Amino acid sequence: MNKKFSRSTLIVPNVTENLVIRDEEFEKLGLQLKDAVNSIFSRSLAIRELDAGSDNSTEIEMVNLTTPYYDVERFGITFVASPRHADILAITGAITHNMEIAVKKTYDAMPSPKFVVAVGDDACSVGIFKNTYAVRNGAETVIPVDMKIPGNPPTPVAIMTGLLGLMHLIRAHKIS
Amino acid sequence: MIDNIFTVSSLFEEFNQDKNDESYVVLPENKFDIVISAMAGRDVVLIGLFCAQNFEGSGGFTLFYVFERRECKHIVVVQRHLNVPTASSVATLFPSACWFEREISDGFGIAFPDAFDRRPLFLHEKYPDGFHPLRKEVSNQPIETKLVIKPGDEYQFKEMSGEGVYQIPVGPVHAGIIEPGHFRFSVIGETIFNLEIRMFYKHRGIEKLAEGKNPEEAVTIAETISGDESVTNAFAFSSAVEKIAGITVPPRSLYLRSILLEMERIYSHLGDMAGMIVDVAFPRGASHFFILREEMFRQNNNLAGSRFLKGIICPGGLKKDITQESLNHLSNYLDTFLPRLESAVTACSISSVIDRLETTGVIQKELIPLLNITGPAARAAGATIDTRYDHPYAIYPDTGAGFVTSDKGDVMARFNVKAQEIRNSVQLIQNLIKQMPAGGVITPFQIKDGYALSLVEAARGQSMHWVYIKDGLIDRYKVRTASFCNWQAIEHAVMGNIVPDFPLINKSLNLSYAGTDL
Repeated sequence: MNKKFSRSTLIVPNVTENLVIRDEEFEKLGLQLKDAVNSIFSRSLAIRELDAGSDNSTEIEMVNLTTPYYDVERFGITFVASPRHADILAITGAITHNMEIAVKKTYDAMPSPKFVVAVGDDACSVGIFKNTYAVRNGAETVIPVDMKIPGNPPTPVAIMTGLLGLMHLIRAHKIS
Repeated sequence: MIDNIFTVSSLFEEFNQDKNDESYVVLPENKFDIVISAMAGRDVVLIGLFCAQNFEGSGGFTLFYVFERRECKHIVVVQRHLNVPTASSVATLFPSACWFEREISDGFGIAFPDAFDRRPLFLHEKYPDGFHPLRKEVSNQPIETKLVIKPGDEYQFKEMSGEGVYQIPVGPVHAGIIEPGHFRFSVIGETIFNLEIRMFYKHRGIEKLAEGKNPEEAVTIAETISGDESVTNAFAFSSAVEKIAGITVPPRSLYLRSILLEMERIYSHLGDMAGMIVDVAFPRGASHFFILREEMFRQNNNLAGSRFLKGIICPGGLKKDITQESLNHLSNYLDTFLPRLESAVTACSISSVIDRLETTGVIQKELIPLLNITGPAARAAGATIDTRYDHPYAIYPDTGAGFVTSDKGDVMARFNVKAQEIRNSVQLIQNLIKQMPAGGVITPFQIKDGYALSLVEAARGQSMHWVYIKDGLIDRYKVRTASFCNWQAIEHAVMGNIVPDFPLINKSLNLSYAGTDL
């Protein structure tokens, strides 16, 4: 099922075909992540995405993760509507002054245990807005960050790699 | 009196020049109000209003009113020098000025005492009082923000009252993976009675950041204005720098830039169409558009080494050439693209989808010039405006990209206009690849001082950039994306619709928050 999806229109139902471009690296990462999600998060990892001042390309890549080419729900990952349902807060942007209160409220609304992933250069404190008037210097200046995924924007593969890294980190802490 | 008439008519003469350029007209303060009143209601649209400090060594502040007259290629910029940081408002004559004036008021501390809306715009509650970041004496460094926000400092939304009227506050954090903004609905039952939007949660200080940078550095900043408009904004910025330096880019670079601009339009429109179908709860239909968009991202990566086409356009041309192999690959792909687009559109041509799209979120044609609504939103409401035709640039003087309009103004019209624009863009790219000239892609040049305006049609509408270079460095960079003006259209488009249709109307306009908030 994973390898196939429908490319037909509704007027030609029940026909499936192989993906033209299949990213083997992504599939491999996805399965590794699925293993980790299965054991650490009981098969379901809920991510709340929060934009605190990105240029919106990172958001587009996050949305892409849920579209047919990537479809991360196959690996037990869902993007949820409320921070109260989330295990992970994926934050983008350097955190503008205008978003700082909303960021804190969103973080506080999450139940523990909770993890924060900074996605994109600005959130990782290495973007072009560093030390300027309108922003804080990255997500870690406002809330604790567990994993950084740099990039302008990071590709879907990079985001998955970062999430897998977070899984390794959580495992290591559990062991120690 | 004779003198006044002469001034107005000579101002109108400026529009009639058959040059794709702009004229700067300096108006003395005592003539300003009478001339501006005469401009209103004569097919003249205020497409931009911005401020510069110490412009051309003048000291004090200069306001620039950018006027476009329908059917005229030429742009007229009225310059108004202020000796004191106070000016009369033009927002009752040109409603698009409302946000512009509030923006100037925040950025430079200029008061518009007679304006009907004097609330802050991009400086929210956390900013310290009396802070005006775009003033030259303010250096761009981290600031101390307010720790406690007193109730009196909170932003005042307009109060709507009446029997059965209640409010729904939404945002800045939304349920989906989208950008932040606040929507304040006043609702009677399910019907939207009023919507007030509050943006600028993502204000990052783009314009200030560009100051003191050289044009090569600043092009990266232009790409960051809005990630999915990287090409448009990098191109518009570069065009302004090239115009100041008085150079033309090599023909090959013109063609390649046009391909990149159209690629951006295609993937952007595909995302909008997918979003509209998602928002009528038909993910199965939307997946076709998402698949096509992902494939376009991969083509982008193949062309420019970036899925968002970042880092390729620079002042003078392109940073690197695009290989014939990549272009052929794109051309072969596009051959298969159109039939698949048709089947995706057909799959959504079912009554349950059409029922949601038709008559939803109508934009009234009368609002288009008043609010300076541009792009597919305006064309779907019957306006024959497109910067590619009205103020041609890149290869558009030679190759018409196909002009698409509809007169309904609803979500369905925007869906159809975007679909047709994708088809036209595919055709245009195919033609450009066939006619691709050989040669270099960059013109080496010396950066010159001066200022210039640049207008480009992004997927969302017209993007306006104004660059002022002094001593080889950017002294002022003003950006007004299509989203900045089009956002104000949504307040009107949702009235009388039901709340559950708001996401659909919002998606059909697909405005950039980053591009508005800067």
